[in-house]
Amino acid sequence: MRERPRAFPVGLYGMLLFALCWLTLPAVFAPLERSLLGATCLLPRWFARLAGSPAMAAAPDLQRQRLALSEQLESRAARHDRADAGERLAAGFEPVSCAVLVASRRGGGGRVSELLLDHSHAELAACSPWVTKGETLLGWLLRPGFGAAAKDSPADPARVQLLNAAAAPPNLAGLQLADGGSLRFVVGPAAAVDPAPLRVELWDDPYRAARLQQDGLEVRTLPRSALDAVPAGLLLGQTRVWGYQATADQQPLTIGVYVLPPFDAAALSHVVVWRPAAAATDRVAPAPFRSRRRVPGLVHDLPGAVHGRHLLLADASVPTGAAIVQDGLFVGTARGLWFGGGLVTSFALSRQRWSLILLPDAPDLAPIEMAGEVVDGEDQRAYLRWRSADARVSPRLGAGYLFTGSNGLHCPAGLYIGRATPHADDPELLIVRSPLRPGPHAVEVIVGEAGS
Amino acid sequence: MRRWFWWFLLAPQGFLLAGVWRDAGLPPIDMAVLACLFLALVADRRALPWLLLGVALGRAMVDEASLPVQILVLGVPVALLLPLRGLAFRQPWLLQAFGAVLAAIAVPKLTGLCGQWFQQPSSSAHLDGLTIVWAVLLLPPLLWLVQRLPPCRAFVEVAP
Repeated sequence: MRERPRAFPVGLYGMLLFALCWLTLPAVFAPLERSLLGATCLLPRWFARLAGSPAMAAAPDLQRQRLALSEQLESRAARHDRADAGERLAAGFEPVSCAVLVASRRGGGGRVSELLLDHSHAELAACSPWVTKGETLLGWLLRPGFGAAAKDSPADPARVQLLNAAAAPPNLAGLQLADGGSLRFVVGPAAAVDPAPLRVELWDDPYRAARLQQDGLEVRTLPRSALDAVPAGLLLGQTRVWGYQATADQQPLTIGVYVLPPFDAAALSHVVVWRPAAAATDRVAPAPFRSRRRVPGLVHDLPGAVHGRHLLLADASVPTGAAIVQDGLFVGTARGLWFGGGLVTSFALSRQRWSLILLPDAPDLAPIEMAGEVVDGEDQRAYLRWRSADARVSPRLGAGYLFTGSNGLHCPAGLYIGRATPHADDPELLIVRSPLRPGPHAVEVIVGEAGS
Repeated sequence: MRRWFWWFLLAPQGFLLAGVWRDAGLPPIDMAVLACLFLALVADRRALPWLLLGVALGRAMVDEASLPVQILVLGVPVALLLPLRGLAFRQPWLLQAFGAVLAAIAVPKLTGLCGQWFQQPSSSAHLDGLTIVWAVLLLPPLLWLVQRLPPCRAFVEVAP
């Protein structure tokens, strides 16, 4: 009997159970991790100080090039985001471009169904409820105190309910058939297990709808008579027919028609809301979510760690997920530690899912918002597996410049990552070359004010 | 108390030393697997949870995933290998090599699984055949060595 405790390691199993609790409630245990890892890194910090003097800045021509690229991204994104929807709105509306802070909640098709913006409810109070991206209707601006924003105050980040949210109202829409006819129907959110985010619910001609076989037909909004009518002609997505294909002895059978929006909401970095030109805006203070501090710091290569893992020494507390930038060049994100430190994983070494923006070389093309994961990488080169829900994006991308999309409060969109070229053999891979070099570097840590 | 001070000071740095070793062009030493072997086959059973915390802190320095993920990634192979201890106590190299293979496969696989479940992917989820070969060849003699060196020496289980 005395041998039983030795055979069953209670302490070990207890520690494993504790780790599971830790992962279930990460926010509760975050200070513990910050302090334990911070203390463990004290010795490498001491060694890091002996590792040479930091490189202070890039060459001026490189800095100018990055600045020009960032300006180009901003102007091209703004032009393409606003122009198409603006043509379909009544005169007297002006666009307000908002960055996405957080994309969350699972909705139809298992996709993200809610966005938090970098503008407050109060700032957008006078705006129309529809939210667009290019010519696409994305969703509805929620009002504080109602629906999913019931607990929000006017000072909180504005909340967008995407069309695939379970509580989103259905829309009247239509499509043009190849034979010249048209179909009108109601589109609502699909279930989370459905193959697309939106589902057609009611048809004006069910008999013709049952014979619909063609994927990829454009679905656009139709005018309604209600006061908050959605502008007609906005794109909702493209059809995706679900059913049985024709066989030698059987006719095809359509079971359901879904609508696939052109954007993956999880990859969105900016959206547009529309404000009546006459609305007064000067009395509302700008939301703090848009202001970000830049804390100076130093990154050192961790002694012996794989290249791309760095130790950060900053002048202030570093929040987890903060972007590390060297002369406008995105280095990676940090895990904040106590004692003003952090552990940085470079973009090339990271394996997390990124929201990214590709600025194509062709000047007339819109910037492409995409999701991507680095599948392999070394010092200056990363192999990125990308995907975009935008059907207009060619499956074989051209070369361009890669920027961060919105990756949380502390990692804003528009930070330059590097030059991206398509992989010769695999069209789903981009090779991203970043001009980062090993060794200590002076950097800036981006800290979102609302989360510091 | 002093042995614990040296453990938490030095054991995590072993992961950085292994990186320096690899960067020098020498055969790679998988510190996570070596730590699993030491904890499962040699270390004092009563001290296991805190010894595990020390090595998990070391792996959290060089890997993207968080500390609790490292505890699971290292702790589960230890729990699996622990029943072998009765057989491996007299240093049968074959069993240690078997344990090294098991841990060398389990650690990246668990890293991948935990990365998926807890949305904390990391680059060390890649299973490399060459690393397994080196683990079999290098880790049994290294285990013999580390249990005679501080800070591991202070935690070797004494036979009753």
